[in-house]
Amino acid sequence: MKKVITGNHAVSFGAQCSRVQVISAYPITPQTQIVELLSEFCASGKLAAKFIKVESEHSAMAACVAASAAGTRAFTATSAQGLALMHEVLHWAAGARLPIVLADVNRAMGPGWSVWTDQSDSLSQRDTGWLQFYCESNQEVVDTCLISYRVAEQIMMPVMFVLDAFVLSHTSEGVDIPEMELCDQYLPPYKPELKLDLADPRSFGALSNPDHYYEIRYKMQKAHEQALPVVKQAHEEFARIFGRSYGMTESYRCEDAELVLVTTGTITGTARVVIDSERAKGRRVGLLKIRLFRPTPVAELKAALLKVPKVAIIDRNISFGHGGIWTQEIKSALYDEPVRPTIFSYIIGIGGRDVTPKDIQEIVDFTLASERPPAPIIWRGVRL
Amino acid sequence: MRWLEAEPPKIPVLERESDYPPMAVSLTTTLVNRTGSWRIFRPVYDNKLPPCNAECPAGEKIQGYLDLMEQKRYLDAYQLILESNPFPSITGRVCYHPCEGACNRKEFDEPIGIHNIERFLGDFGLSKAPIPKPAVRRPDQVCIIGSGPAGMTAAWFLALEGYPVTMLEAAAQPGGMLRLGIPDYRLPKTVLDREFRKLKALGVKVRTNTRVSGQGPGTGERKPGTGGRGSGISVDDLRRQFSIILFAHGAHQSRELGVPGQEAKGVMSGLEFLAQINLGKRPRIGKRVAVIGGGNTAIDAARSALRLGAEPRILYRRTRAEMPAVADEVEEALREGIPIDFLVAPVKVIRSKGRVTGMELLRMKLGKPDESGRRRPVPVKNSSFRLKFDSILTAIGEQVDLGFLGADVPVTGWSVSADRWGRTGRSGVYAAGDCVTGPKTVVEAIGMGRRAARAIDAHVTQQSLPEEEKAEIAQYVNINTVYFDHASRKPMPALDLKARRRNFKEVHLGYAPNDAVEESARCFSCGVCDRCDNCYVFCPDMSVLKKDESYEYDYDFCKGCGVCARECPRNAITMIEERQAK
Repeated sequence: MKKVITGNHAVSFGAQCSRVQVISAYPITPQTQIVELLSEFCASGKLAAKFIKVESEHSAMAACVAASAAGTRAFTATSAQGLALMHEVLHWAAGARLPIVLADVNRAMGPGWSVWTDQSDSLSQRDTGWLQFYCESNQEVVDTCLISYRVAEQIMMPVMFVLDAFVLSHTSEGVDIPEMELCDQYLPPYKPELKLDLADPRSFGALSNPDHYYEIRYKMQKAHEQALPVVKQAHEEFARIFGRSYGMTESYRCEDAELVLVTTGTITGTARVVIDSERAKGRRVGLLKIRLFRPTPVAELKAALLKVPKVAIIDRNISFGHGGIWTQEIKSALYDEPVRPTIFSYIIGIGGRDVTPKDIQEIVDFTLASERPPAPIIWRGVRL
Repeated sequence: MRWLEAEPPKIPVLERESDYPPMAVSLTTTLVNRTGSWRIFRPVYDNKLPPCNAECPAGEKIQGYLDLMEQKRYLDAYQLILESNPFPSITGRVCYHPCEGACNRKEFDEPIGIHNIERFLGDFGLSKAPIPKPAVRRPDQVCIIGSGPAGMTAAWFLALEGYPVTMLEAAAQPGGMLRLGIPDYRLPKTVLDREFRKLKALGVKVRTNTRVSGQGPGTGERKPGTGGRGSGISVDDLRRQFSIILFAHGAHQSRELGVPGQEAKGVMSGLEFLAQINLGKRPRIGKRVAVIGGGNTAIDAARSALRLGAEPRILYRRTRAEMPAVADEVEEALREGIPIDFLVAPVKVIRSKGRVTGMELLRMKLGKPDESGRRRPVPVKNSSFRLKFDSILTAIGEQVDLGFLGADVPVTGWSVSADRWGRTGRSGVYAAGDCVTGPKTVVEAIGMGRRAARAIDAHVTQQSLPEEEKAEIAQYVNINTVYFDHASRKPMPALDLKARRRNFKEVHLGYAPNDAVEESARCFSCGVCDRCDNCYVFCPDMSVLKKDESYEYDYDFCKGCGVCARECPRNAITMIEERQAK
């Protein structure tokens, strides 16, 4: 069924398609519309889920932890300070191996108080154990919700999928909402091997002494390693059933490129326009979109970037004292190769400042014109 | 004790990574870990006494019937009231409802409209409830002297226990003060008649126009003999005929004003004035009417005078705060436009040709508290003034007729001597209501009538009477008000002021069923579990076990965290020290 809906409502429909059973959330701009619509689905019976009202995001995630431990499919959505408030429980969800799915509408962290987009909220949750998917379009949002649950429940790890504040969350696009029959085929009901059971009560998240703790953490890393083939297979199966394909990464017009831009989120869509015009001018410029952050798709990154002389990484985030986070990740992924591309690291669009085709064009021009990056961080659009 | 029956679980040996569970989960069942042993406090289900119940002089289980009412179980609710008060259609109209004054909800927004709900149920029961049948028949004949609320109540409970009951009433129609003292606009005679039909259906015999020899004039009888005919039967005769006598003849003798000129034409006791109206007469009182007093009789007399077309004026020697009348009634009188002069006392009735033309009054001020605890009015020097009146209605109190009792019945200075069970200390002689307490209220008479019936039955069947229970009363501070939404009290529909003019139509019109149900739903159910499931939902150890209509704790695993007690909206759970529990 085709509908013109916002990114936020695409998340709501994605949750409905995934037949989530427990939703617990706390309102925060720009996420609120997601759970607003879900609460209506619950109230009207369009979705057979329990909607739990809570007093904070910490409690929202805690409720999801309990619901998931009880063997139900749990969902929440949040942004920025809300995600930060969940931080402790994000660790808990991953450590308890609970396949919760969370939609994060990327919003800059305060202060200064901001409701506009950048990636500092989600990327700073890097080490919690959550998988993260970044979405480019509203269609991708709906589809990624289903993919997230499928992956999460196979490897028993929580998954966060991310969309840009306003640029996606409040922008309407045509979206094909998958038929429930196909959704059910793609995502079977959640049946965990181990869950809270009154007949055989266990202590979950119990004290683990040094004799026990280490192996449990080892298993979490193994789960992330196992996730790479699972994600791949989940995308292939998705393409087979729904006819739309995504990957952990996507190379766009990278054949024989001398420069590849690396983008995430909605900047990808803007960059595609620039790439098309560059190619029309005969310049050898391509684009690598990254969807998966944790586990790092090292093989895909190498395959896409090692053959290219120059790479321009566009970061809508910053790790203070170092630089763009995607840049660090990609550099680290390529480090053990003897021959590596020259990497230009651009910071842009922090706090929701617009990123236009002109900005991307200037990045392309500057990178092609420079032999080496002039500095570890190249600031675009900051008023110096 | 599931854990006791289980074999001690075998704990798996963890040698390599693959032996480990996928997450931090205990390797065996946690039932072996009897966490109840950690407990130093334990929760216990411990219903408290709701303050409304505690305050009701008739001992009604108010919280209980509000709960049933909320479930629309009208008949069950009515029958629960009848366990303590047989006549809720009457108290639902005329009770001064101390329950509402005690209601914890008044601290939150407004007290529950218990009085109005009681009236709804009373009227419901009159039309819908079957008349109960006594389970046994007893031979012991009971005679009740007086047919007011105390006598009616005792008659009901005694008849229910199978006693043959005969009520003697000096007036031509039964009901005592309910009939003679309370105006129609508060208690329509039809309601009283229906309650008497209920009594008669249970087998109670009512002999009206039956005055015991020596009994003085009753209300509505200025002179002896103008009311009911004397029966010529004496208390001694009655004691020969009946094995049990219950005095319940009330307090019908009006106190005199005690000022010069009080015998003038146009001076009448307020009670007598009310009785005449209640017997269908329309006394001629002229235009300017003084009503002396601050009690319910004064208010009733003034509002009745207004309805006859007069311009009554209440004169009271203390202030509003000391008025013994029910506050709601005072409010209605003021709303109807009756002026009340405070701190004035009559010193002389002014006459012309033997008829009242006015009164001389003194201004008063409040001095030290008297034995009633109220501040005593003392005259202000040189403050006398005069007002013109066509008639004066006195309502400064009533007294008990003690003249006909016979030497055998013990009396105090001003009333029949009896304990709270109505026992006079003489075998087979009991007393209840105003004749024991002096002029009090309908609901107190009902409470005492019930206790007297209980005492009579206990005596006949040789049982002991229950000890007075000292239950803990549920306090507002212990109500968890986060679980309640503010909701205003349903207003009682009433005739507008215009529609009350020149008639005695009932002023209050009664709750519609939905209003009564919604009003009941406002009840906190203070101190009494109403199966809300909060403890069950909140228990982090799943140690609250649901039984059919209640809950139990699984003390094997309850750690005594107290969350259930804390989250109980109504203080029905108490935490006690573990060592006290053993």
